[in-house]
Amino acid sequence: MTTKTSLLKVILLGDGGVGKSSIMNRYVTNKFDAHLFHTIGVEFLNKELEVDGHQVTLQIWDTAGQERFRSLRTPFYRGSDCCLLTFSVDDNQSFLNLGNWKKEFIYYADVKEPEKFPFVVLGNKVDVTERQVSSEEARQWCQENGNFPYYETSAKDATNVAVAFEEAVRRVLALDERTDHLIPTDTVNLHRKPRSAATCCS
Amino acid sequence: MAELMLPDSRRCNYFFLYDGSKVRGEGDQTREGICYFYPEETPLDEQELLCGQLVGTARCVSELSSSPVRILRLRRNKFSIRVKDDFFWALGCSVEVPTISVCELLDQLINLFCFYTGSVRQSYQRNSKESLAARWAQYLSHLQSGSSELHHIFSCLRTIDSTNVDPLLLLKAALILQACQRCPLVLAGCILFRGRVVSTQMSPELTMKVMFHESETYTKPQRPSAPSTFSSFGGAVGSTAVFLTLSELQYVQSAPVDKAFSSHSTPHKSTASKKTRLSRTLSDTPSSSESEPSDPGSSQSAQKLYSPHLSDRSVLSPDPAAPRPLEPPLSNGTLSPEAEEEPQEESFYYSFHSNGDGGSRTHNEGEMPDPPPPRSAAFDLPEESPPIPMTLYLHRVKGLVLALLVEPHFLSDTASMEEVYHCSLASLNGLEAHLRSVSPGAPGAPGPYIFAHLDCIQSTLTSNLSGRPGGAPERPFVRATSLLHSHFCNTETLQEAIIRSAGAAVYGTRSVAQETYFQQHGGSLRNSGIPNHQDSAFSLPGKARHRLLKHGVNLL
Repeated sequence: MTTKTSLLKVILLGDGGVGKSSIMNRYVTNKFDAHLFHTIGVEFLNKELEVDGHQVTLQIWDTAGQERFRSLRTPFYRGSDCCLLTFSVDDNQSFLNLGNWKKEFIYYADVKEPEKFPFVVLGNKVDVTERQVSSEEARQWCQENGNFPYYETSAKDATNVAVAFEEAVRRVLALDERTDHLIPTDTVNLHRKPRSAATCCS
Repeated sequence: MAELMLPDSRRCNYFFLYDGSKVRGEGDQTREGICYFYPEETPLDEQELLCGQLVGTARCVSELSSSPVRILRLRRNKFSIRVKDDFFWALGCSVEVPTISVCELLDQLINLFCFYTGSVRQSYQRNSKESLAARWAQYLSHLQSGSSELHHIFSCLRTIDSTNVDPLLLLKAALILQACQRCPLVLAGCILFRGRVVSTQMSPELTMKVMFHESETYTKPQRPSAPSTFSSFGGAVGSTAVFLTLSELQYVQSAPVDKAFSSHSTPHKSTASKKTRLSRTLSDTPSSSESEPSDPGSSQSAQKLYSPHLSDRSVLSPDPAAPRPLEPPLSNGTLSPEAEEEPQEESFYYSFHSNGDGGSRTHNEGEMPDPPPPRSAAFDLPEESPPIPMTLYLHRVKGLVLALLVEPHFLSDTASMEEVYHCSLASLNGLEAHLRSVSPGAPGAPGPYIFAHLDCIQSTLTSNLSGRPGGAPERPFVRATSLLHSHFCNTETLQEAIIRSAGAAVYGTRSVAQETYFQQHGGSLRNSGIPNHQDSAFSLPGKARHRLLKHGVNLL
């Protein structure tokens, strides 16, 4: 395995107010501020971690959920290694919008093979008692849309936040490994001479 | 007009600081008193000659006229003069440079020194002449570098080109500054990108001073004598000691910070955040309470936040008598909270405005020929009180810098430092990414007109000049603007003027809050030499009003 630290870009998408910034802050600084202002455009923080022996620098991009900020955020989708689709379990509309977020991401990130791209779904604010979205509904959506992993998180009390990011890293690494395996079979080694051709023409 | 062009971008021909206390006796040589002389390669004999002559002349004139000398004009140079106690400063520029610009350049230079070094007398007691000479050289070079000639004429702030930047990003910058102020040790801040102001909570004068340090750390990141950096923050954070004048401190403290925004338990806020649908907009955030008269704290915080661009519209309100809520109090002398600076301000204008009322002045000036008593001061620089030590905190993210004026003990307060660092880091990262991705915007073909618009309150300039050095077609405009600006400064009652040569006519108009200059290209000037209705110059005001509307400049 490589000992080199790799930089992975993960991006948090979802409706305004579902808690994307809070999730990022909870994970990186382990703090929670209930009165964060709207994110304008994009923001990001780096976090170093080790997953299954891999040293990784996770660059977490937090985005503005409001529609009016769309033109500011979309240019930064490119180059993402993983997308965390986020909704709030106490807001059904944010759950219904997941599909739109996925579509927007695939379009602007210019993903080559959308069906293979690693998405992770986060249902945030599980600390809230009045839920509008059940676990079953959420899991079913994930199942139907590409078998995405689903985590119920709470940035407020730190539930599942780290686990979700680690899962995102695993998904990316797994995908990398698969492509690593694919490379030797797909490529032509230019250093080896094709002898048969030489004998044939002379 | 061509032969009158400035030879190069160097504005200052001479600058020196002379310490009269070093030359008391008959046998004392003038050179003993020269603390710093620019250009440094000037032979010592010549230095002595110029210093001796100017100091002598200034003293003679001020004693004869019982008023402080501000400007001495020679045939090729004009010298701005400042005197404080035994110190005598003179800065000489070409005579074409507007007098006000020469005076402002010298003031900026002295103020920069005092901001980073403290009291001049104490600095010269504690440090070697050589090390302080290096400082003067740095400050002078900083003030002469970079900006366009128009910036030099108006002595205004360099701001990012707002025409290419989404206004939401300016809001983002302003919010970062507000977030930092949640820490009570943070007085005020500004955000700079590649040496230009994105947003500031400080007065233009203070912002300008802060920008020197930013440019220093940018060009020489690892100077051995560099201000301290903090390894725990990855070397991106640094600080340096600075000194505020009493009036600056009062101004910074006078703009109340909305601490309610930071305290997490205001009932007002919790109702605002209690909603069913989460598709919030900016208008239903806590800051929306600014419009509610019942919340004075919030509305005051709006005054505090004056990004150079966001407030344009309100400053340019059509009715000049209309209240301008975003106007910082300091920039307008009459509203300034600091009483002790007023005498200086008045005397400054007195020397320029021949019709100024000097009645009250003569009382002060009667004392002048005697060794100045501590409070007499039309002769003195503004800060009567000793400079107050503060700390300038800098957090750099590539080309983006967050600069905060903080209480000195902020640096020893780890919790506060971490709070400020963490509350701003993600946003600074994001803002940097945004601003970096903003395309500089095509310079574009020269339009059918040139304009320059100065916001006097925020000291910012908007212009469609290309900014290319020595752009020949723009020379007449720059020169005319410089002349008009001089006239506006000299004649308080002058509001509109057209200045013309055989080939060009430039229209200038000003109010308390703004100065605007406009030149229309193309179309032959119909100029008979005698005023008549057909003269195309008379259509300039109308054209200016019409054309500049789309640049957000309202001359109606």
